[in-house]
Amino acid sequence: MTLAAMLLLILIGFLAGGFGALAGVGGGIIITPLLAIYFGLPMHQAIGVTLLCVIATSTATSSMYVERHVTDVRLGMTLELATTVGALIAALVAHQVNRRTLALLFACFLLYSAGSMLRKAWDSRNKKREEMIPDYTPQNYPAGLGASLIAGGFSGLLGIGGGPIKVPVMLLFMKVPLRVAAATSNFMIGVTAGTSAYIYWGRGDIRVDIAAPLVAGVFAGSLLGARISPKIRAFYILMLLVCIAGWLAAQMIYKLLTGGFQ
Amino acid sequence: MNRQDVAADRVLSLTLKLGAYTALVLTVAGLALRFAVPWAMKVTTAGLLVLLVTPVLRIIVACLQFLRERDFKYALVSFGVLAIVVLAYVLGIQA
Repeated sequence: MTLAAMLLLILIGFLAGGFGALAGVGGGIIITPLLAIYFGLPMHQAIGVTLLCVIATSTATSSMYVERHVTDVRLGMTLELATTVGALIAALVAHQVNRRTLALLFACFLLYSAGSMLRKAWDSRNKKREEMIPDYTPQNYPAGLGASLIAGGFSGLLGIGGGPIKVPVMLLFMKVPLRVAAATSNFMIGVTAGTSAYIYWGRGDIRVDIAAPLVAGVFAGSLLGARISPKIRAFYILMLLVCIAGWLAAQMIYKLLTGGFQ
Repeated sequence: MNRQDVAADRVLSLTLKLGAYTALVLTVAGLALRFAVPWAMKVTTAGLLVLLVTPVLRIIVACLQFLRERDFKYALVSFGVLAIVVLAYVLGIQA
């Protein structure tokens, strides 16, 4: 790989990790399509590399959320029983799924994520920052575990974190406050992505030369982003991410229609 | 939140930070050296392996914290998660 390509990957990682941490969403969802569309990586490899980036974001940002006692470690650990099973099964199956199907599924999930980020942006317009966390007891564990199984499955199949699936369920069915739900989902992602990453690594679907500069960038970006995130309003960053996600989804669909991703 | 939980959070956060910074330093060092020495790729790979091991380490640390708090229910839950991840590791090696 040339020096220019390496620096470009570091920059992509830095921006994805940084914006992701600032807006409280995973930046991984942007990395897979970039690698698949512009770097010509096969979908399985793009997903494998993204899994590492997702672990990096989760590790960097959750170290801070745990320190601030926003993460519910017990709840996270319990739901991880389901996310890891989903991730393991999906990672084993992913190899049998053909690239075009993966790309189509990914494009759909990208649009869904764009929608949920749009709603998050709308909600964040005039909300006070860093409010106190009210007392709560998680309800309805079956719903939470079910959603976690599905989120883990998508994580293993598409290399994403699955936050847009877990967070609403924790919020609506388990009655967990939003900030706790987001931090806890983020906490779970490292272990979930780690589970499927072992399978991808064993299969040789994680290219070290591409993963390393991305991971370095993601780490630096998300450590910085998580540090300053309590001080900023996420609205404009979320809107930017919505636009990028929408653009990448359109690119993926265009490439699928013109016979790409073989 | 009780005092034990606050202390447990600190240890857990420290584990994650240690993993994050070690992985970052090794990856960056490997990348910086790659145009200079032939073994640079090994340093980079070591960084990525630290990244892969950190989530497992964090489960073990959480499990030990729960044991220390005599919270056996969640120690068992942590152990269950650990078992699934180890299974994935074993299957990954054979893949």
